[in-house]
Amino acid sequence: MHILDLTISEIHRALVNKEITPRELVDEAFRRLESDANNLFETSMKEQTYKRLATLGEPEKDNVFWGIPFMIKDNFSTKGVLTTASSDILNGYIPVFDATVVKKLYQAKALPIAKATMDELAMGGSGVTGHKGPTFNPYDIKHEHIIGGSSSGSAAAVAAGIVPFALGSDTGDSVRKPASHGGLVGFKATWGRISRYGLFPFVPSLDHVGYFTRSVEDAAHALNLLSGYDKMDTTSSIKPVENYVKKIHDGIENARIAVLNQVYSSITDAAVRHAFDHLVENVKAKGIIVDFVDIDEALMRAIYPTYIVLSCAEATSNNANLDGIRFGQRKDGETYQDIMTNSRTAGFSPLIKRRFLIGSFALMRENQFELYQRAQKARRLIVDAVNKIFDNYDAILLPAAPSVAPKFNADSDALSDEYLIADNHLAIGNFGGFPSLTLPLGFKDNLPFGVNVTGRPYADADVLAIAYQLENIIGYRNLSTRRMKQ
Amino acid sequence: MKQVDINVLKDATTRLMFTMSEEQYIKLEKEFSIIIAQMNLIKDIAGVDEAEPMIFPFDISVDTLREDEIEDPLALEEVLKNAPEVDGNEFKLPKVVG
Repeated sequence: MHILDLTISEIHRALVNKEITPRELVDEAFRRLESDANNLFETSMKEQTYKRLATLGEPEKDNVFWGIPFMIKDNFSTKGVLTTASSDILNGYIPVFDATVVKKLYQAKALPIAKATMDELAMGGSGVTGHKGPTFNPYDIKHEHIIGGSSSGSAAAVAAGIVPFALGSDTGDSVRKPASHGGLVGFKATWGRISRYGLFPFVPSLDHVGYFTRSVEDAAHALNLLSGYDKMDTTSSIKPVENYVKKIHDGIENARIAVLNQVYSSITDAAVRHAFDHLVENVKAKGIIVDFVDIDEALMRAIYPTYIVLSCAEATSNNANLDGIRFGQRKDGETYQDIMTNSRTAGFSPLIKRRFLIGSFALMRENQFELYQRAQKARRLIVDAVNKIFDNYDAILLPAAPSVAPKFNADSDALSDEYLIADNHLAIGNFGGFPSLTLPLGFKDNLPFGVNVTGRPYADADVLAIAYQLENIIGYRNLSTRRMKQ
Repeated sequence: MKQVDINVLKDATTRLMFTMSEEQYIKLEKEFSIIIAQMNLIKDIAGVDEAEPMIFPFDISVDTLREDEIEDPLALEEVLKNAPEVDGNEFKLPKVVG
């Protein structure tokens, strides 16, 4: 086994003990990246990475990110590095500043090796809509199954063992769902806990920075590094941060966990249910309270339409600056309006145009109350109902997805509970800004599936501590396709 | 709610400043029957119209003011670096008036 196959904290120990050098780690990461067949990166940062190597100095014992290779979803601004959000409209765009999270990783002397593929402009959950084509699930060498999106390349890179850490973004479930399909830990902290400065806005009231690791401890290390107030992001929280790594070892004997009946019953996959039931039994056996509780089914069935209305509507305005005038790909025209129309026509894929049209429809004067405003009201009631559960429970535990990663072009009944609830319930975490983490739960047909734990706003430490105990109970830690082969 | 037909969709694309092929309009018009059925599920929530719209996930009150520090703004050449066409210090576009 190569040291690159270890978790961040284990690689860190090896770096400090000089069992490996950052150059050897990066050489191996690029060897893997360049021979990978999953279509998971947009732009290699090889030149910058090797320049950074020269500035590292001696290993820093108290800095676990020192010399750690990582990848960056292509919707984070990276100074001097092509950043397209996997959309043709941003072809050629080279940002002039770094996103705050990118800057923090650079300051910690982590080594960025590439920008990762994604669903175009983060609008999608399948990893198939990016301008470089679909990203494949590394667990499926036949390339029949998705990894999921929108943070598809980031998830695939960590699952394929290319890097132990990758930045993603999560507006509906774009980190936590692909984490389920890739056997990974996928975490988004409380809304405002991590600065979003430099993350391309999609739906600002739902957008979160998220990331992939292969252990809960690594997720806590990443939160220690990335959390905190940022004057560049007016929505970033001034609440003090905690030592999340230290806190994962806090006992959870007194924790109370809820399972939402109406979500649980929407999941029909026998393997997922069996693994989930088994987990619940094991958690209860530790003396932890796990109760199955009811939540209004109408609210659960409204999660997906609420998300679609709000996200599409807000995306139309947040992407209005993509017009080919000041940056990005321009198409010629007789007037500036022609230039904008031609640039947007050529620059957006049909799927993005579809989303913009749904959004525009929801915002039409005749529909604004019935669609857009009603969705905002539904969001309030969904969040209120979940907060009521948090009055009595510390966390909500649920299967992260209805099953393993679906096949490309798999049909689903868009009005079934399986689609509306089981496949979309993670958006609750975005509606309420709740800290939410997916970790591996089991395998079916050699494909992984995950479980999700969601907690109260700012209870990030509790979510990580509960997830850490669940990881111990489940026994899946540091999964990747390379380690599965061994 | 406004009825969806191809003309409504075409009107929307004009406002959104892009165009689509006829096939794409026909496909999307059909898809809208499912989209509307999904949107109608929101109406099934008891008391939804009486609820207060939610804009942000929770109350955020920023009661700190940052220091009024002098900072260097982006250099002009940096701002213009990504523009497809530049004339001097300006973005170049076709003439608006003759």
